[in-house]
Amino acid sequence: MMVGGPSRAGAVSEKRPWTFYALGTLFVAYMAFLYGPMIVIYVLSFQGENGGVTFPMVGTSLTWFADIVKPGQMANIPVSFSRSVALASVVSLLTVVFSVAAGLGFRRRFPGSGVVFYLAVASLVMPSLLVGFGIGMGFQFLGLDTGLFTSALGAQLTWTLPFGMFAMFAVVNRFNRSWEEAAADLGASAFQRLRYITLPILLPGILGVAMGAFTLSYDEYARTTLTIGQNNTLPLEIYALISSATSPTLFAIGTLTTGGSFLVIAITLILVMRMQRRRNAAILKAG
Amino acid sequence: MDSRFDVELVSVSKRYGSTLAVDAISLRIPAASYCCLLGPSGCGKTTTLRMIAGHEAISSGDILIRGENVSDLAPIRRGTAMMFQSYALFPHLTCLDNVAFSLKMRGVGKAERHAKALEFLALVQMADFAQRLPAQLSGGQQQRVALARALIMRPKVLLLDEPLSALDPFLRIKVREELKRLQRELGITFIHVTHSQDEAMAMADMMVVMQDGHIRQAGSPREVFERPVSPFIARFIGSHNVLNGPDGLIAVRADRCRLGPAGDGPFVTGRVTAVEYQGAMVRVAMATDPGSEASALVPDREFYADPVAPGDPATLTWAEHDAHALMDA
Amino acid sequence: MSSTTSLDHIGMPRSRRFALPNLRLPGWAVSWLQVGPLMLILSVLFALPTILFLVVSFYDYDRIGIYPAFILDNYRDLVTTPATWRVYVSSLRFAVIVWGVTLFLGFSVAHFLVFHIRSSMLRTVLFLLCAIPFWTSGIIRAIAWIPFLGRNGAFNQILMGLGVTHKPLDFLLFSDFAVIVTYVHLFTLLMIGPIANSLAKIDPALIEAARDAGASRWRTMVDVIIPLSKTGIALGSLLVFTQVMGDYFVVKTMSGGQSASIVSMLSTEITAMQYPPASANAMVLVLFVAVMVACMMRVVDVRKELVK
Repeated sequence: MMVGGPSRAGAVSEKRPWTFYALGTLFVAYMAFLYGPMIVIYVLSFQGENGGVTFPMVGTSLTWFADIVKPGQMANIPVSFSRSVALASVVSLLTVVFSVAAGLGFRRRFPGSGVVFYLAVASLVMPSLLVGFGIGMGFQFLGLDTGLFTSALGAQLTWTLPFGMFAMFAVVNRFNRSWEEAAADLGASAFQRLRYITLPILLPGILGVAMGAFTLSYDEYARTTLTIGQNNTLPLEIYALISSATSPTLFAIGTLTTGGSFLVIAITLILVMRMQRRRNAAILKAG
Repeated sequence: MDSRFDVELVSVSKRYGSTLAVDAISLRIPAASYCCLLGPSGCGKTTTLRMIAGHEAISSGDILIRGENVSDLAPIRRGTAMMFQSYALFPHLTCLDNVAFSLKMRGVGKAERHAKALEFLALVQMADFAQRLPAQLSGGQQQRVALARALIMRPKVLLLDEPLSALDPFLRIKVREELKRLQRELGITFIHVTHSQDEAMAMADMMVVMQDGHIRQAGSPREVFERPVSPFIARFIGSHNVLNGPDGLIAVRADRCRLGPAGDGPFVTGRVTAVEYQGAMVRVAMATDPGSEASALVPDREFYADPVAPGDPATLTWAEHDAHALMDA
Repeated sequence: MSSTTSLDHIGMPRSRRFALPNLRLPGWAVSWLQVGPLMLILSVLFALPTILFLVVSFYDYDRIGIYPAFILDNYRDLVTTPATWRVYVSSLRFAVIVWGVTLFLGFSVAHFLVFHIRSSMLRTVLFLLCAIPFWTSGIIRAIAWIPFLGRNGAFNQILMGLGVTHKPLDFLLFSDFAVIVTYVHLFTLLMIGPIANSLAKIDPALIEAARDAGASRWRTMVDVIIPLSKTGIALGSLLVFTQVMGDYFVVKTMSGGQSASIVSMLSTEITAMQYPPASANAMVLVLFVAVMVACMMRVVDVRKELVK
């Protein structure tokens, strides 16, 4: 996703055209629309003990947060949380390795590349539940047990792999082939080229894919429903909670998971900025 | 094994599907010479360079470097080093690490390879920039680092892919001199691809003019300029008129042509189409009566003694011995 | 004269010491090796199950179990049940409305971010702001609308507080309105992303050239910008349509049971272990998606754009 780049705003005059204000207002409205419900979640998670899932607020408390960690509830949050994280990590790892490889493969035009491409598009776009259903049914027919790291993993990969591959296309396009040729010229073997040149330069993009795959997996509800068997991941637990009894615990969970996502992103950004700062410092030191 | 030649191409061809990019060319480049491959876009000069480097597979034929057949060898085993048109400096490595890269690939220890890299950076006057990243350097600076990176491998042949095209005109002339000096000092062969005939003539010991995958003429710049073998070469080299002589096409240097009344010698009449002031010379372009173009390069004093303007009728004259017969191709 | 490497004073390249035989594989073989794992996984986990659907959709079934056969009954039942049509039409209706709203909203936001924000730092920040909610579970974001739109919800409170209405609006929640609002909330980002990507690729010189030729801002938009962002629009549209058509959760919760979705229809059949009709239903949806992808392909050569 293209975020940086040169300014496209008209260079002639510094004055903003009326469309700027119109669109700006729309943007602000959109932000309010987007974050409105989110703020409701955050506020209601501090709902008083006797309050319900809607306003008005009956005092404030941390009861619902405490409720999360109490086992024996309708759902078992901490366990399904750790399962979600475990699954997401595996999905993220596999996605990175396979989609980076595939992205590199597409640098050439090779026979059958169209098939691979459209298969990926179809897999990306197909409604999640369908895919989950298909895999679940397939497993049943084969007499295999569905499980977290077999069928659920597979189902999530059908979504994250195409996503990762397309993300890699954008990254790989910016990669200049001359660098690899230069490396070959200087004596690097294929493996050395990959390790010292290709991967380090592609690293920011790869990290993006890893992060994306992790969060996609973490949130993925539909595909996992039909493929997961007995043990639930967090989104499924949440849904179970919703169907059975609604309570502000849900909102407490929402606040926590949002906080968790924020944390992951913040950590990644800090790491990236640290890397940049270290590089800049080295340059300043050298003068 | 012939040690007179650093690089030999024996009937080398490159085929892409059904297109023949390079068609059975043969060439012998003498030891320690500066060779320029010159030609219009698409003539195959870059493909030829890349085949010598080993970055492009040869469809048929052989390439020998210092008598050894390298046609099937990987780039690193050929004893060649390439300077890429875009310089291809690794963006995530400092200049020092860029130059030391080839040594790292060979397992040389950090201290030793950094020291050696610094040596070569000093050779190109870039030692102060050792810790900078390529993105922080100007085009000229990047090029010098790329040069150091190539030279540290002590190649037998240095291959340069349009090294001067990205530089501004002043820098170009300066770098031209530096490259030539470097080649003399190192005593190895440089093969330099360019589409600028001025560049090629200024730098080459041996000039190879290519067109459509063939070598049209190879020789010293003087040879090619004074005795072009075909109309294409005469026109491409520039400053030549291709005219109809009594027995076929001839080429006459524009600076050997004059405007004036027809005398005993050959001449052609026509009309002036443009007058271009070039400082020391004035170029007068004309449309000839037989229906083609010609021009005369006249020293400025001569021109302004008797100037002409576009639209004036004019006669182009030259001396018989200045006309050079061309092959018709 | 024996062959010497040019750095013999330094030593043999390390990689050569334990070198495997120097395989020079043809380009296409390397590419297939690289694409292989992904292709394998997608084939087994996506293509095969789809074929499974196809096969099972022709099976016979009754209360006890399912029987391999080749009958068209399932499809016939599907097509002749009014409920099916109702659900499909309803889903399509939602999809079209949501598509229109997200397209307008998404394009405006993307346009604003790409063309009106000058500092690239600010642009990155604003993009992240748009994307961050996406990282919270879709389920939670959906149900967050309930307290917002309910009778005692925040929105009604605000309206009444501002004096716009005297009593709480009822249609806000558990209605078509709520469903559409939720969809827009969830899926606008799917439009913003691809469209912003396409817009960013437009050479600024083209817009200047249009201005130079006397085009007004509106004409520039219609004749230059929109055609050049076809890819992004097509991709975003595809994503929004398929997500809405394939939705399970939002309709169930936000319409208060008034509407059903195609997929919830499917899931009831699945829980009842009635695989053949479920498969037939699934095949119809697959067909729909395939048709959408084909339409998109005709509008733009996505392959060329993405891979270059």
